[in-house]
Amino acid sequence: MMFLQSLLSGILTGGVYALAGIGMSLVFGVMNISNFAHGDLMMLGMYLAYFAFTLLHIDPYLALLLIIPTAFLFGFMMEKIFINRVINHPHQNQILLTIGLGLIMSNTALLAFSSDPKILTTSYSSSAVTPLDGISLSLPLLFSFAITCLITAILYLFLSKSSTGMALRATSQNREAAQLMGINVAKMSAIAFGIGTSLAATAGALIAPTYYIHPLAGHSFLLKAFTICVLGGLGSVVGAAVGGLIIGVVESMASTYISSDWKDVVVFVLFLAVLLLRPEGLFGKKGGQ
Amino acid sequence: MKEIATIAIFGLLAALLPLLIGENPYLTGLLITILMMASLSSAWNILGGFAGQYSFGHAAYFGAGAYTTMILLSRFTVNPLLTVLAGIGVACMIALLTGTIVFRLRGHYFALASIAVAEIVRLSVLNFEFTGGAQGILLADVTLWGVDLNSKNPFYYGMLVVLLCTLFLTAYLKRSKTGYYLQAIREDQDAAASLGIDIARYKNRALLMSAALTSVTGSLYALYIRFIDTSAVLDLRLSIEIILTAIIGGVGTLWGAVLGALLLVPLAEMLRSNVLGDLLVKGGFIPETSTLGLFLKENLAHAHVLVYGIITVLCILYLPKGILGLFRRRK
Repeated sequence: MMFLQSLLSGILTGGVYALAGIGMSLVFGVMNISNFAHGDLMMLGMYLAYFAFTLLHIDPYLALLLIIPTAFLFGFMMEKIFINRVINHPHQNQILLTIGLGLIMSNTALLAFSSDPKILTTSYSSSAVTPLDGISLSLPLLFSFAITCLITAILYLFLSKSSTGMALRATSQNREAAQLMGINVAKMSAIAFGIGTSLAATAGALIAPTYYIHPLAGHSFLLKAFTICVLGGLGSVVGAAVGGLIIGVVESMASTYISSDWKDVVVFVLFLAVLLLRPEGLFGKKGGQ
Repeated sequence: MKEIATIAIFGLLAALLPLLIGENPYLTGLLITILMMASLSSAWNILGGFAGQYSFGHAAYFGAGAYTTMILLSRFTVNPLLTVLAGIGVACMIALLTGTIVFRLRGHYFALASIAVAEIVRLSVLNFEFTGGAQGILLADVTLWGVDLNSKNPFYYGMLVVLLCTLFLTAYLKRSKTGYYLQAIREDQDAAASLGIDIARYKNRALLMSAALTSVTGSLYALYIRFIDTSAVLDLRLSIEIILTAIIGGVGTLWGAVLGALLLVPLAEMLRSNVLGDLLVKGGFIPETSTLGLFLKENLAHAHVLVYGIITVLCILYLPKGILGLFRRRK
């Protein structure tokens, strides 16, 4: 029972991680940039959900309809103003730039919202369903998982069917060839970063009802998002989705069978193990990067 | 030869400085921090500047030195210098582990793995009992050869010696075979490999030198402050400050890290002690009672990480080669 319980709650949390991982992987694939501000973008999503709830009295899940376009616009502008200027720089400069932007976001949040953790308590925050005897699944996590599946499905359809989606994938496969085919790669980068940002913010908003909301909360999610991307193969969207679920389950199992203090260590050790044994990731092409 | 002489002159002047400022604990403390950041960034530069491998987790090596020293001294009566050596051993073990895993790979992987290793070290220290956990470790007093190390001057000279060693090593590397190999790896890994350079081995060598020097600085810091916890010596913020100091001065240059530390440490100190806020108000730039004035007075002291973020962004966008890189381009 304990095994099944931690497997199921791991999958539910993993769904949200997957969302954050997909956003980072998309940015990596299209722009070949490791976005170190991704965790802080998640943190902004958490605060957006919190303020939508406390100030505007909007349900955090309904607030996604506001958060997604806002975050897209924010990411789009951030790419236009900062990121695209380093797109041809050495990757360490790109990393440093996104670290700098992340520091600005988290510390501005620290000044504006203070370092006291905030808690978003909805009427259903602590409710749970018990599909089987001895198994209890948190209702907010179930909602989050359902929304994650919906958003992932929409994103998948968008990437595979729409012309913008195809242009994004073409840019991801070969930037120069895509440009030669008449694709506006600069615009594609901004769109990819916008989508990445809105996925991060969505993930943040989805975990807001079950997590402490804190200006530095993004820090721990950043490394998790990286682990997910590397596990799934950098740039692979499907890989990131599967990677997210795996990380969620590993983390939950580690909490159950080792101790919750050590769950992050287990995740990072897994990250190093992937680098050692299968650096191209589960779904990556062999011999790439 | 010219560089060796410049370092020697710099060392001599720096050694005379405490005589000049006399008994001033505040100023000496600030100078020690400057020397510390300068040697940390110089040590980082051996790996980042020469081999082009940006480590985003150098706090792990700093913390390895600091924690090894403190754990040993809080349990046994040993010569502090021996604990410094033990710290080097621990740091080198972490470095070897990291290097073995990631130096076969290229691109973003080393950057990512260096953070992951640093986080594993930080969380382990936080969760284990023998490391003092979240409370950290406090040491009552430190004696070396029967002398009580309570004053600041011994640490000023200790840090200066580490910095000078790092600078000499950097100057030597610039003209040595290892140094040329590392620069070849930085410029083009494939070309370097096709010339028969064992890339992983030389990257590992640079990482080991860098980690060892960083660990010595960490041990000295621990002996100097006599209190450490994970947020002081193992935080990601420290790793970023080390890189930022090197970047502002100029990555891959001999004096870049020293220049960066001379600029950044006093700036951070001015922000922390609110000198900058007071200057802006007293200089009449911002009226004291205005909303902005009050806001600055209230918050500027906590804003130094924010300022670091802004400097990082501006530096990457407008000054990616650092201040010394600017001069080099003009030539």
